[in-house]
Amino acid sequence: MSKHDTHADHHHEELPFWRKYIFSVDHKVIGVQYTITALVFLMFGFALMMIMRWQLAYPGQPIPFIGKYLGDTIALDGILSGDGYNAFGAMHGTIMVFLAIVPLGVGGFGNYVLPLQIGAPDMAFPRLNMASYWIYLPGGIIMLASFFMPGGAANSGWTSYAPLSVIATTGQTMWLLGMVFLITSSLLGSVNFIVTAVQLRAKGLSFFRLPFFVWAQLVTSFLLLLAFPPLEAAAVLQLMDRVAGTSFFMPTGLVVSGVEQAHLSGGGSPLLWQHLFWFLAHPEVYVLILPALGIISEIIATNTRKPLWGYKSLVYSAIFLGFMSFIVWAHHMFMTGMGTTLSTFFQATTMIISVPSVIILTCLIISLYGASIRFTVPMLFALSFLPMFAIGGLTGLPLGLTASDIHLHDTYYVIGHFHYVVAPGTIFAVFAGIYHWFPKVTGRMMNSTLGRLHWFFSFIFINGVFMPMLFQGMAGILRRQYDQSEQLHGASAQGLSVMVSWSAWLLFVAQIPFIINFFWSIWKGQKVGANPWEATTLEWAAPSPPPHGNFDTVPVVYCGPYEYSVPGKKTDFCPQHVVA
Amino acid sequence: MSAAVAIPHDMEPHPVTGMYNGKFGLWLFLASEVMLFGALFSSYVLLRMGAPEGTWPKHGAEILNVPLATFNTVVLITSSVTMVMAWAALKMNNIARGQLFLTVTFLLAGAFLVVKYFEYSEKFNHFEVWLKEPMVVDGNSVSSIRGHLAKDCPPLTKETHIRAFAIPEFILLDPDAPAGSKEHPPTLRIDGGNIRRISDFGPAHSTFLATYFTLTGLHGLHIIGGMVVILYFMLTGSRFAQKRPDKYADRIECTGLYWHFVDLVWIFLFPVLYLL
Amino acid sequence: MQAPMHYGRWLPPLLSEHGSQIDHLIDVLHVFMGVLFVGWGIFFLYCLTKYRQRPGHTARYEPVKGTVSKYAEIGVGAFEAFLLVGLSMPVWSAYKNDPPAPAERFEVRVVAEQFQWNFHYPGKDGKFGPTRADLISASNPVGLVETDPAASDDIVSVNEFHLPVGRDIYVRLTTKDVIHSFAIPTMRVKQDAIPGMEIPIWFKVKEDAKSEAIRERMTQVFPMRKANWYRLRHHIATQDYKDKDGQVLLARGQDLGATYEAGQELLEKLEKAGVTELSMQPRNPLEVICAQLCGNSHFKMKAQMVTHDDAGFAAWVEEKSKVIEFDDF
Repeated sequence: MSKHDTHADHHHEELPFWRKYIFSVDHKVIGVQYTITALVFLMFGFALMMIMRWQLAYPGQPIPFIGKYLGDTIALDGILSGDGYNAFGAMHGTIMVFLAIVPLGVGGFGNYVLPLQIGAPDMAFPRLNMASYWIYLPGGIIMLASFFMPGGAANSGWTSYAPLSVIATTGQTMWLLGMVFLITSSLLGSVNFIVTAVQLRAKGLSFFRLPFFVWAQLVTSFLLLLAFPPLEAAAVLQLMDRVAGTSFFMPTGLVVSGVEQAHLSGGGSPLLWQHLFWFLAHPEVYVLILPALGIISEIIATNTRKPLWGYKSLVYSAIFLGFMSFIVWAHHMFMTGMGTTLSTFFQATTMIISVPSVIILTCLIISLYGASIRFTVPMLFALSFLPMFAIGGLTGLPLGLTASDIHLHDTYYVIGHFHYVVAPGTIFAVFAGIYHWFPKVTGRMMNSTLGRLHWFFSFIFINGVFMPMLFQGMAGILRRQYDQSEQLHGASAQGLSVMVSWSAWLLFVAQIPFIINFFWSIWKGQKVGANPWEATTLEWAAPSPPPHGNFDTVPVVYCGPYEYSVPGKKTDFCPQHVVA
Repeated sequence: MSAAVAIPHDMEPHPVTGMYNGKFGLWLFLASEVMLFGALFSSYVLLRMGAPEGTWPKHGAEILNVPLATFNTVVLITSSVTMVMAWAALKMNNIARGQLFLTVTFLLAGAFLVVKYFEYSEKFNHFEVWLKEPMVVDGNSVSSIRGHLAKDCPPLTKETHIRAFAIPEFILLDPDAPAGSKEHPPTLRIDGGNIRRISDFGPAHSTFLATYFTLTGLHGLHIIGGMVVILYFMLTGSRFAQKRPDKYADRIECTGLYWHFVDLVWIFLFPVLYLL
Repeated sequence: MQAPMHYGRWLPPLLSEHGSQIDHLIDVLHVFMGVLFVGWGIFFLYCLTKYRQRPGHTARYEPVKGTVSKYAEIGVGAFEAFLLVGLSMPVWSAYKNDPPAPAERFEVRVVAEQFQWNFHYPGKDGKFGPTRADLISASNPVGLVETDPAASDDIVSVNEFHLPVGRDIYVRLTTKDVIHSFAIPTMRVKQDAIPGMEIPIWFKVKEDAKSEAIRERMTQVFPMRKANWYRLRHHIATQDYKDKDGQVLLARGQDLGATYEAGQELLEKLEKAGVTELSMQPRNPLEVICAQLCGNSHFKMKAQMVTHDDAGFAAWVEEKSKVIEFDDF
């Protein structure tokens, strides 16, 4: 009675289109759904910023071409308003973090590659996987729909600090509802990933034979599982404050626009929101970078034709990083009136957490020593990731020490710091991953010339966007400023803003070769077989594209994940599933 | 299941974890739930410690109904017991008994919610009025009065854009009897001009009640979620159990794990909110 | 005449006593960051060239021995510990734990709101008058109980922060509505203002940092081709600029106009009149700004900061002090 389901079920009925491509339980289809949806959100978030950059470069001047279509709340007479600017800013951050990068790194790459890399036929809970995507999409739509609310979208920063967010317009309520959906989707996904990575590994695939990509996804999933619920709790509390008139975050004695808020009970704490928010949001930034580090590691191993240097250090560092990420959160709150004891604790943990990051970066750089480097398009992105991640990580140091943070807190230095890690950091890793795994997903290669163009101009312009920001921050220019020239010291560096804006618009132009390449190659790209990169990990043992159930024969693993250039072998790579 | 591939360890325990997939997954989910309720309990602690003098009741019993909650605690613990018995019966292949215990669990959960309904609605009919100038009630000078709206009091309207009651021209209030006595003071007429704030005993009343409603409300939602799942098994279980009794027992085991967790949360909630 | 100074693309001018330690830490950090980056970068570029794939070259399977990297890692960790304990903690400790003694310090309450800074001075009696939330109005932004004797000499200044140089300034910071952040870049001061809390913060303005003197030191000559209204909108001319007929286009003490369009128009006129450079100085060289998003006019929430010597400050206090005539009652 229970036996018939344990046979590999290859002879399934042909599914209707909507079951095969829309409401599919196949992790590969879901992975592609996540990727496409997230890329659309990424473009939208980028578009928001490009509009904001006009206002920053030429404050008070009407936005060309599209200004008149933005509506009066956002842009009266085509000039972006203060509220419109703040709404775009808050939504840019929210969309990039929650609707684009994490769904790409985890929902897209994690979903598609992880089961293949461990030799599994699918995720542990395929229907739960489908549910995760179909909860993410409505969450994203609710977020975007907030632009059409009276009063516009959420405009209190992606950080939604109370009391500002509590007294904000309706868009903020939709932000909170959207977050509940997104968090739920994330939680279901993280359970799936952990169970899959632990329980569905192929025979012979012990933990220390796992590709680093899988380790990165595993640690990321634990972060999502354990760090998101406090934000869900906080979102519920803020919803209660906004809708039910509670005062979780509203202290006694508030006077807004000259009106005493006597109808509120008071007694709440704005700092409580910050603690709950950052308790998630700090691990969240490691959720943003760990999948990227996983992707980069795979590409470096494949294109250096040698094992990664310090595999065990990489793994232990990733685990330690995950653990430490839970105890650094208040370094975002140094300026809230924190005393010496608390600030010393958080400075110390922040200094300590830099150690595993440095170890991971160093291992990846040392992996280039003694290599035979193939400068393929994915490798170009992977290589440029390394110094960019270094800049991002290093600029975290002055921010992590309270004394220097006094000057740099809430300035463009912070924006430069974290964008270096996510933009030429994670987004480059995402591009690298797309070029690298495109042949597996479609059976065709992306065009290399267009890829090189894409890389070269993206690299130049992305530095043009974020390097000047570090200087602006040093000059004291604050973030979230509708008009930087309003302040005297901001006016002095207005020229840098113009440079940043033009770099941003040119950066968009540099994406055009990629978009063309992506779609053109799906139909016209050079056809390739299962393992065009001559790589060792298990996903390359499956056909390109893999069928439902992934592997013709269930793989057995005989060796580690990066057996390249093994002395005495005929080829310079030994796939994991081939007897040594 | 159509077009599904065979997933390893769907029912067979894995050597590393000793559990089948569903059970491991559920434990992970419970870990995240611990973080969720943990965050709320931590918020409670932070808010209570930072509360201005007099804004937090000395004991939950001042405002909350301890006897009803005690009854609810017994009900919920019993439902956990019946849940285990359902699973045990199914493991021993006694489908009818298993389904019966599932139904009893469902009914007990329903009883919990009914009691909760009475607890909540009591709060929304009870009011507190904070005065600008003190009044004399029952020989004492007070600056806030609790009670029920008198029969001929004009209805209060909630103006949603300020999320509270608009201050009326006047209200007629039947004050609560003083503690330990059965005698209610006579109906009071309170002028709108003297009212600083008026609120029912809903979440907007005070941070204590906000915390109470949020914690018990979220817990209640978890009970409802569990009930939906149990109902589904009540309706489809017999048929499924006949085809796949092992798998069915596993599913009930996982549901039971979730249910015990929900019970455990209440066992923390009850003393923290009602007794402390 | 003192050395010129201006806001530019690196650290703003430093005008407080404790600020030099912060700047020193920032400098040390960036040297350290530079050393690490260049070190990594050199090794990185070396590998990219030496180990590129080419005919006859194969990769090495055996890992290179890592003693250098282990010691480097330990060194990095040790240096970070030094930065924390040696350079950051002492500064923060002084910033937070060592308030100036009550007898010697100059106290002022700062009450932030959407979108202005209110400065409440205790006046000659040194005592702050009590405040009440229900008295807050447009003309009484801090809700001062004006009938109280302690409030009779209090000064409430909106968007103008006057203070004496060379004295310990003790700010009691709070806000009426949402979180703001009290930031003075030139003083290296930044503190979130959180509703429901009064947070103290202290600093001392350098003896020679009177705002009049700073304004003079910030006089700059801008070549016309580089002049643009955004850059110069807060500046005033230090001399008259006339056209060919002797008409004054830009008078001494005048700015370039209130909008970008007006400014560009005037600059064009000046260029046509043969003016090749403009000598200008900031109207208000020192500013208090808001560093935490507080709404749609967050960017405009700034106060002019005016630093005086003791005599100048006393004169300002005299001018601002209210005198309540008791026989008016």
